[in-house]
Amino acid sequence: MKRFKHMPQFLTWLTGITAAIATVGFAVSTPANAKIGSCTEPIVFGTTISESGPFSTLTSNWRKMTEIFAEEINKEGGIKLASCGGKSVPLKFAIYDDQSVPATAVQLYERMASVDQVDFFVGPDWSSLGGPVPPIAERHGIPIVMGNVATPSLYQRGYKWVWGTPAPAVPRWSERYFDMLTHVQPKPQTIFFLTHDNPVMKAITAFWSRKAAAQGLKVVGEETFSADLKDFTALIAKVRGAKPDIVYLSSFDNPSVPLVQQLRQLKVHAMDVHHTMLTGALAKQVGNDLEGMTGELTWFPSVKGPYADLFDRVMQRTGITMFDSIWTLARLDSYIVMIQAIEKAGSVDREKVQKALYKGTFKSPAGDIVFDEHGFPDTGAFTIQMQNGKVQVIWPPDVATAKPMWPSPTWQ
Amino acid sequence: MSIDVVLQVLVGGILVGGLYALVAFGLSLIYGVVRILNFAHGTILAVTGVAASLIFARWQLSPVLIFILLVPSVFLLGAVFYRGLLHPLERRSPLEATIGTVLVTVGALLILSDVTAVLAGPTQRNIMLRSPVIEVGNIVISVTQLAILAAIVVMTLVIHAILKATWFGLAVRAVTQEPIAAELCGARSLQVKTLTFGVGSATVAIAAVLYVLTFPVDPYMGFGLTVKAFTIIVVGGIGNLPGALIVGVLLGVAEGLVGLFWGPEWSPAISVILLLLILVAFPAGIRWRRG
Repeated sequence: MKRFKHMPQFLTWLTGITAAIATVGFAVSTPANAKIGSCTEPIVFGTTISESGPFSTLTSNWRKMTEIFAEEINKEGGIKLASCGGKSVPLKFAIYDDQSVPATAVQLYERMASVDQVDFFVGPDWSSLGGPVPPIAERHGIPIVMGNVATPSLYQRGYKWVWGTPAPAVPRWSERYFDMLTHVQPKPQTIFFLTHDNPVMKAITAFWSRKAAAQGLKVVGEETFSADLKDFTALIAKVRGAKPDIVYLSSFDNPSVPLVQQLRQLKVHAMDVHHTMLTGALAKQVGNDLEGMTGELTWFPSVKGPYADLFDRVMQRTGITMFDSIWTLARLDSYIVMIQAIEKAGSVDREKVQKALYKGTFKSPAGDIVFDEHGFPDTGAFTIQMQNGKVQVIWPPDVATAKPMWPSPTWQ
Repeated sequence: MSIDVVLQVLVGGILVGGLYALVAFGLSLIYGVVRILNFAHGTILAVTGVAASLIFARWQLSPVLIFILLVPSVFLLGAVFYRGLLHPLERRSPLEATIGTVLVTVGALLILSDVTAVLAGPTQRNIMLRSPVIEVGNIVISVTQLAILAAIVVMTLVIHAILKATWFGLAVRAVTQEPIAAELCGARSLQVKTLTFGVGSATVAIAAVLYVLTFPVDPYMGFGLTVKAFTIIVVGGIGNLPGALIVGVLLGVAEGLVGLFWGPEWSPAISVILLLLILVAFPAGIRWRRG
């Protein structure tokens, strides 16, 4: 018992220190939000970024990018409010790491609503987080514009405060690629879908396999694989057996690394192998194996839509490129859409901003974002191909930087 | 379905299974001698694999040199890990020691994975050597895969020979069967245990270098491999290397065939289902007939 005799005193100290840390932490971390009618306090956007955990590979430098975005907006004066006689109010972010974990994201958005009392929500990303987070926005009546949450069904739950800017949206994900397939010669006849077991990737396959069949392509196989799978021999043996003209990989980039390598190793032949996430991260991991493959890119800086210069500047200052981080556009879109909605409402009144967002049309570098009645956008993507180690936009022809190499010589 | 497709899957299954068996050898050795279930065993493969791929990416060293560099280092780390963190627990009561070793090895698993992810990133990495392929009909086998298969067979024979024909092997078998009598006969139990932990870790390092030549590794994949290795040693028998090789290959082939006929998303569950079935059907363990 002797060794425990100082325990009560120790516990008292421990409790005191914990309480002091909590108080200081609370005081330091609570952002000052804009009160309705205030024309001096900053408007606070609360957001989480997957800085750790499995999705962290997709968000490299996003915290810095978000801070630079706020700097750039504030450099130009901030967010214009008609209720302040056209005066601009600075933008501020409250940023937390959701660790790629849905439960953590839910806790953090609850905290931002109740403790930090942010004005509006932007983000999160990924369908697994975009499912559980919106109920918090609904409960608190805070407009939320999510980023890369592309599963349409997540928006069809009768919410009134929820929007999203995924780019591309599932129903338009490979729209331009399938359009290209109707124009190329020789024309492909068969397609095989390999799908990463993830809600958004499965939604892409479900949508585009129907579209492919409607377009006259024969779907000769559909297989799903888990993110942990390392040995793809069985799947690839099936692909080889089916001899498809097109192999369509619907997958996040990281889980498909061994798949792409083993497709090459096991000498799969096709007119084209298409990847829904042909990214710089994937290119760094598999190198030349990506040569000749096609994919999607949501935007590239030579398409000079509205805010293109702002986005380009933010990305350059952050040190990221669209190809390295293809999810960046949807993230930045969520910020710019919320800013436009506030300016359209002319106030930080959440109900007015909600009305501005409902079925609204907003400007983005890749074209207009038009929300349907569920808060889902209609954004598309450009078709790209890796040619001699460089990314080239190959479809649609009016913005293409190179012609499609068809059939892809590296898969012959 | 064409026979070529099935044969291709069988070739892949044998390769993966052989690598599983190599991982299981080390775990089997360690459990047989030290009586510790090392939950961090698979994570040693993951971390060593990440290190191997980083070395390759940075200096383009040949896999043989990477092997020479990493295997002795992991041997040392394994020995130090045992002496520094696990051996002191033997002074505790059996219950405390058992709980302590689980906590230490699971803790090591978490720390190793997280530290590697922070230092090297959580993405998958490998050493993908573009080697010529041999095509037999519609079946494709790369020269790298053949070399890995040959290395697995050689490693199995070498480890088997060491255990059967050297003083260390004799001491290992003696300590496994009767530690007190072994000590009385001159086998210094602590040294044998330390060496065994080092050798078990080095074995998994060998598996790691072979693994990254074909498949990618990431810092968090280790526990799944440990479960497979547990299955192999439970079914194959502790300390039974040929048994472990056979069961490893069977597990690899079973995963491949499940992936082919049922769906690859079911493959990772096979080892756990197999383990549960064996535990229910043979609660006293499978006895392999000798001679």
